[in-house]
Amino acid sequence: MLSPQTIITMIVTVVVLVMAGQAMSGAISDSAEKASDLTICDLDKTEFTESVLSSLKATAKAGDGKITVVDIKSDDYAAELKRLDQDSVVIIPKGFTEQVKQHKKADVEFVQRMTSLATMSNINTGSDTALAVIQQAVKSTIYQDKLNSGAMTEDEMNQLEDPVLLSETTVVGNKSDKVSSSIVVSLCSAQSMVVPIIMFVLIMFSAQMILSAISTEKIDKTLETLLSAPVSRLSVLTSKMLAAGVVAALQAIVYMFGMSKMTGGLTEGMGDTSAYESAMENLGLTMSIGQYVLVGIQMFVSILIALSLSMVLGALAKDAKSAQTMLLPITFSAMIPYLLAMVVDIRTLSPVIKYIVYAIPFTHTFMASENVMFGNYSLYTGGLIYQLILLAVCMTIALKIFMSDKIFTMSIGGKQRTRKSFAFKKK
Amino acid sequence: METVLQVKGLSKQYKKGVYASHNVTFDVGKGEIFALIGPNGAGKTTTIRMISTLLQATEGDAVVAGHSILTEPDMVRKSITYLPDEAGAYKTMTGRGYLEFMASIYADNGEQAYEFVKRGCDICELGDRLDDKISNYSRGMARKLLLARAIMPLPALAILDEPTSGLDIINALEIRRMIKKLASEGMSFLLSSHNMLEIEYVSDRVGIIAKGELLEVGKPAELIEKYGAQNLEEVFERVVLDREVL
Repeated sequence: MLSPQTIITMIVTVVVLVMAGQAMSGAISDSAEKASDLTICDLDKTEFTESVLSSLKATAKAGDGKITVVDIKSDDYAAELKRLDQDSVVIIPKGFTEQVKQHKKADVEFVQRMTSLATMSNINTGSDTALAVIQQAVKSTIYQDKLNSGAMTEDEMNQLEDPVLLSETTVVGNKSDKVSSSIVVSLCSAQSMVVPIIMFVLIMFSAQMILSAISTEKIDKTLETLLSAPVSRLSVLTSKMLAAGVVAALQAIVYMFGMSKMTGGLTEGMGDTSAYESAMENLGLTMSIGQYVLVGIQMFVSILIALSLSMVLGALAKDAKSAQTMLLPITFSAMIPYLLAMVVDIRTLSPVIKYIVYAIPFTHTFMASENVMFGNYSLYTGGLIYQLILLAVCMTIALKIFMSDKIFTMSIGGKQRTRKSFAFKKK
Repeated sequence: METVLQVKGLSKQYKKGVYASHNVTFDVGKGEIFALIGPNGAGKTTTIRMISTLLQATEGDAVVAGHSILTEPDMVRKSITYLPDEAGAYKTMTGRGYLEFMASIYADNGEQAYEFVKRGCDICELGDRLDDKISNYSRGMARKLLLARAIMPLPALAILDEPTSGLDIINALEIRRMIKKLASEGMSFLLSSHNMLEIEYVSDRVGIIAKGELLEVGKPAELIEKYGAQNLEEVFERVVLDREVL
């Protein structure tokens, strides 16, 4: 039961998962560090807002956070964030102090740039901290007023309950709209959750099917009969790949339907989302037909890579157990970028890990919808070119194996049938 | 006699100096049953696989019904059927479904495919069991189905590797008789077996192969007489001892 094959599989599993875990934990700790940092812009510039900023700095210092005070010169937030090289900014607008003094809810604006739909890349607790500190400062002021005047009006009481009104703006690329980034993330769940799951299912199903089709032919000894029949090897190979691709696509449609129902349930919880639809359009987060085609192209290339890789691995299998083991490299190659893309923005990983992850061909497909939505077309194109080169290499190897003796003589361990019982040295 | 298969110096070399089959030369006439005999690992299957275009010959050539395995492998495959030793069938298919699938590959049109399937059903004699899944077949039933598949298109050359392996005595006898009958009607057979008594009964000529080399070719009776042996088994023993290759 505990063959060297099984032991190697277990070791590789642990090594790969530990590496993936480390990559994720590094990215998560980076995100957590950045999350407590805060960039703030005071457009009101009064004694009161100065004291609020001082309180914020004191709070940040105590919590190892960093406060950066910046100047916003226009309401083109996309351009301003780019100029300041910041991902988010809390804006205290002009008239803030006046609103406080008039016992009105004081406006505070939070602008956040989204560069990824990955969970960890959209965490920012800095805005919560800022909001809490500003609220505390406003409350202190009102208390002070009350102490001075000796009375509290109804407006003052209402103000104390909820003194600050936070409005949020999200920036994507060069576009911005007044919508919370958390709402955008929820509305994008179709792209951030459904597409990777479909992709994962497609890769795994198609790989499993072709691997099983080839290895079963070898194990059940039907391959020799089939390949000695008047049918070209190329047509046998392409029809097997086509059949696996079609069945995998059918599986994907079924999953897509189920997942869209599930995410529909998630967005239903947010109530009527029609108001946000225009915001999504303004941010360029609704995919056009052209963008769907681009994602589809990368999906198609990935499936072809999975099929050609599985063909090679299926040809190596000599029994049912080794056929199962053969699927592991593809499972890991699909699982690692799938998990990473859901949790972290792969572009922000450390260079070594990032390029290792980029070397996995399926990574580019898991990033495809995000790349086209966020306008990272150079990354998309680079990924596609890499995938096409890899596909050409895998296809060449697969064809070479299938069109030669190797389809019968190769097996796991690389031993060909040149054993002493089958081959004889000529004197 | 018209030659259906002509094998000329066929060799399979896996690496320099290491041969699975070396300089094998023989021919098979129309309606002739030719058998390659030898122990396991002698090179019979490698030779057969090269003739079936499954493995590429490193030296020599074989011509099947006028087509070279090197230059016209597609045409060769149209002229042969191959039944490998321990071959399997698609277990999820029914016996009839399998015959229909294979007939569709060999036939030029639907009518011919129907004819092939009908012949296949008659040959395998599986009756109602033809509509059962192959996964429910015994080893003998599966072997009969595979034999029927190999014979139903009436190829110019049927290559059968251990044709009766897994069959009981009665079924094995039936198969041998059927091979003889089809040969008398003009179909050529290239058989491979290490069951020399079976080969002695069924084949017109035999080739004795050991350690990749074809050591002797002739009619069983002539070889028995030449080596003063009781049967083909003794002939084989003497041939290989004489050549000191064992």
